[in-house]
Amino acid sequence: MKTKISILITLFLLSVGAHAQVDRSKQPKPGPAPKIQLQTPVEFTLNNGLKVMVIENHKLPRVSYNLTIDNVPTIEGKKKGVSDLLGVMLGNGTTNISKDDFNEEIDFLGANLNFFSSGGFASGLSKYSERILELMADATLHPLFDEGEFNKEKNKQIEGLRAGEKSVDVVAGRVGLALAYGTQHPYGEYVNKASLNTVSFDDVKKYFREFFNPGNAYLVVIGDVDVATVKTQIENTFGLWIKGTSLNLQIPKASPNVQYTQINFVDMPNAVQSNISVTNNVALKMNDPNYHAVLIANKILGGGFSSYLNMNLREANGYTYGARSNVGTSRYDASRFTAGASVRNAVTDSAVVETIKEIKRIKNEFVTDEALANAKAKYVGDFVLALERPQTIARYALNIKLNNLQDDFYATYLEKINAVTKEDVKRVANKYFKVENARIIIVGKGSDVISNLEKTGIPIKYFDTYANPVEKPEFSKPIPEGVSAQSVLNNYIKAIGGKDKAMTVKTVHATANVKIEGVPLTLSAEMKKMVPNKESMEMSAEGMGVLMKQKFNGVTGFAEQRGAKTPLTDAEIAERSADYVIFPELYYDASSISLVSMTTIDGKDVYKLKVVKGEKTSFRYYYAETGLLARSESQSEIQGQNVTTVVNYEGYSPVDGIQFPYIQSVKTGPQTISLNLTNVIINKGVTDEDFN
Amino acid sequence: MKKCLLSLTAFVLAGFTVSAQEVKFEEYDLDNGMHVILHQDNSAPVVTTSVMYHVGAKDENPERTGFAHFFEHLLFEGTANIERGKWMEIVTSNGGSNNANTTDDRTYYYEVFPSNNVELGLWMESERLLHPIINQIGVDTQNEVVKEEKRLRVDNQPYGRFLENIKLNMFKKHPYKGTTIGKMAHLDAATLEEFQAFNKKFYVPNNAVLVVAGDIDLPSVKTMIQDYFGTIPRGEDIVRSFPKEDPITETMYAKAYDPNIQIPAIMAAYRTPSFKERDSYVLSMISNYLSSGKSSKLYKRIVDEKKMALQVGAINFSQEDYGTYILFGLPLGDVKLNDIVSEIDKEIVKLQNELISENDYQKLQNKFENQFVNSNSSISGIANSLARYYMLYGDTNLINNEIDIYISITREEIQEVAKKYLNPNQRLILEYLPKKDD
Repeated sequence: MKTKISILITLFLLSVGAHAQVDRSKQPKPGPAPKIQLQTPVEFTLNNGLKVMVIENHKLPRVSYNLTIDNVPTIEGKKKGVSDLLGVMLGNGTTNISKDDFNEEIDFLGANLNFFSSGGFASGLSKYSERILELMADATLHPLFDEGEFNKEKNKQIEGLRAGEKSVDVVAGRVGLALAYGTQHPYGEYVNKASLNTVSFDDVKKYFREFFNPGNAYLVVIGDVDVATVKTQIENTFGLWIKGTSLNLQIPKASPNVQYTQINFVDMPNAVQSNISVTNNVALKMNDPNYHAVLIANKILGGGFSSYLNMNLREANGYTYGARSNVGTSRYDASRFTAGASVRNAVTDSAVVETIKEIKRIKNEFVTDEALANAKAKYVGDFVLALERPQTIARYALNIKLNNLQDDFYATYLEKINAVTKEDVKRVANKYFKVENARIIIVGKGSDVISNLEKTGIPIKYFDTYANPVEKPEFSKPIPEGVSAQSVLNNYIKAIGGKDKAMTVKTVHATANVKIEGVPLTLSAEMKKMVPNKESMEMSAEGMGVLMKQKFNGVTGFAEQRGAKTPLTDAEIAERSADYVIFPELYYDASSISLVSMTTIDGKDVYKLKVVKGEKTSFRYYYAETGLLARSESQSEIQGQNVTTVVNYEGYSPVDGIQFPYIQSVKTGPQTISLNLTNVIINKGVTDEDFN
Repeated sequence: MKKCLLSLTAFVLAGFTVSAQEVKFEEYDLDNGMHVILHQDNSAPVVTTSVMYHVGAKDENPERTGFAHFFEHLLFEGTANIERGKWMEIVTSNGGSNNANTTDDRTYYYEVFPSNNVELGLWMESERLLHPIINQIGVDTQNEVVKEEKRLRVDNQPYGRFLENIKLNMFKKHPYKGTTIGKMAHLDAATLEEFQAFNKKFYVPNNAVLVVAGDIDLPSVKTMIQDYFGTIPRGEDIVRSFPKEDPITETMYAKAYDPNIQIPAIMAAYRTPSFKERDSYVLSMISNYLSSGKSSKLYKRIVDEKKMALQVGAINFSQEDYGTYILFGLPLGDVKLNDIVSEIDKEIVKLQNELISENDYQKLQNKFENQFVNSNSSISGIANSLARYYMLYGDTNLINNEIDIYISITREEIQEVAKKYLNPNQRLILEYLPKKDD
């Protein structure tokens, strides 16, 4: 039997002649390109269908066996976790050898043996190679399934889930897969406590019977063995594996890419870095004619230290320890493009913007000849360096089988890498890096990062740590010691000018320029207030006179729009009667206010106060730094619908020593009205008449 | 399939001969004091060039922690002949890979190239040693990057601060009490001059070992080394004197909190000697005996049989001046941390009172043989080991005969060492607990 077949490969490396005099100001030129040989494994198939590949390598006295069962990925659904449980139960004894004896012997040999849901791996010294093979085969063919063991492993798995609950990376990984592929896809579904609890002992045994089948299996042997001897040994062990019926399975389709670029945010208050991943699904098989060009495009975008992403986010900006991108391949058309980094909270929004910028750059601009040549050289180098490990040869051989590749796929690999042009790079970047249909999945501390992310203008959707959509959470920060609802109020009153001064204000007369979103008219408003509860507002447009009036005189009131007058209802009158229209904070009862949280508005820390009046609850936000009112938030019913009105206050300026917000925006449902105050007069020019 | 378990004693006969391929090497000093180690292996067209500097976190000014690791970043910024930002590009455009890492004891830089670029690797390492550019722009950029590295690897990682807390409590005087990554405030406060002075003191040929390993031609590589490194001036001798720790005589108790975990951990840590000492090798064997593999004593007792823990383990964390022997467990369900310690202690007491079985002893020998064979499986791994054995252990040939030390350790010695170091009054008990959000 021929034991070493190899193919000579041309290296596309720069190479120049002999060594000259040393001049350290010049970078040394490479010597002649080395010759490399691509060894190919010896292959044979057992009667039961098990395909075996052997790579002899006698450099070290060791051996490894790698069993891969190539099943079509399937949904585990409500019983997600059944395959993981099978993986941990295998390799713990056989029907011939007790668990303790089995584990004892593996350890005694100094060997390693691990199983997972779709195969196993064993390694050790070559002097024990035969026994290791026997133990692995016995564990594969005749595993010991014990219900006590099953329960123990299940408990450990459930407990193990908790270990990752607060890990940003674990959550980012789970959410990324679930959102990209959908939870009804084998790559997107995840294990949780409920699904583990649903798995029964019989489920595991059934899964084993259905999925551990030699017909779909590959055994790769690497190391200090003799092919003829190991072949006999395998026939005597794995040869006894009985061929089952192979399942005819279909993999469901992965979720389609999203219609528009969006941030998918997961809040983890313990995060000190945001895990950012820009991602879209791709359909890319290893035998796709674009494959090599995609490798090069990704290498330049984010495939290494000198890539666009890393040079920007790490080297130019210092946002991250490393930024990378990746494009997966899948023979089931379910793989992803991802680009991202872990960055400190404060630069999360900037890192998103820069990441998108770099992706657009490779889509819109040709890469330089130098960048292209460097990326190719890196692939050549990696190819050469990887050949030091016999595992690489095994991986190549297995890839050819699993992905249905041409036999010369790796022999011609460097040639194809070398043929990629900058036009190819731009073309495939546009085909596969779909930033316009990408999710930007961010797992981080919402209270630190959301207000800035909102400013990017990219729509934000919120998810929990298991990828379920949720409403925008309340991003609160710990409330500093000594801060209470009362202290926030006191600070506010002090900030506007003090209680004594504020109490002297009996009337307020303000004029304002008004803009209503979507209305192309220049409007102006005249607003009057009188303690305790009288209010009047008239809005007019230039050349059109008064368009709208709202008045309340303490007893009755009305709203008038283009001549049509609607009186206030009894309920509205009752509500308005109890109101204080000028600095209501002066009149709050301590029992009706409470401090809810510390959060942020436009990046500034604010205290959120809850104000309860009768059956109505409203919220008011005060800046932590200045004490001034930042926002009020109230609910009202308009035509049977519950509508939230949000008023933002900015542009504080003093009038007779008292601070008034000159810029106000009122958002009711979908409508936003902006008021720009032009003049504010206190205790002058307002009479009772104005409110009738 | 053979139905019976092969008699274990059959393997005992296979015994003590270790047949891993010997790593042949040649070593010599340059006139400037730089040590050179060459290892030729032409089986794959790959070469590693590496330099290890005898400078780590323990060599830092206590007010400027993090310097050693910071240099691992700074010294990629550029040299007199390599423009800023070009270092990585030169490596990748020539098909290479490179990296560096820092411990409390040393800093290590390496490149792996296709073998026709050995000269390039030597040139780059000689540039780094001879005249690196250390300027404010590099310091400022890497300052941010290092902070991100800390957030990534420490602050955002579950159990990321356990070693930091162990060291903090175990060492009172010796600089091992700090972390390798150091305090960010120290880095912020550091001046450019301080960085330059650190470079001048520690990055000198007489404090370094150069290793070239792989597909090389020995005579021509020696010429290149002389050309590129021979002319670099020798630096001042480095004098090291670190304070000695007082022995631990009473159990110490401490708590630490981690916002990234939900399952607490309990740790017992013991002070042990330097990795150069024979006792440290014995402790490595004890770690293996206690927690490596499903048949190991702690795993079998606490995880498998009593189902008290999700995980248990023993780590012989050994350094140049001292070691720390760490036993740890993560409880399953409502199991009390103290109960895990009691269970661990039962195995330790057994180890102190009885000899381990012949069978367990032979198992250990097999495991260490397997480990030894695998330790020399890559050229870059061999290069690292050669540098480490020379610089930190003072004996390059340990790469071939360290296994003999393990083979020579007896069951009686294992018992003695357990008695000498692993006593309750010589340890720290650290409760590593979830930090509540508020």
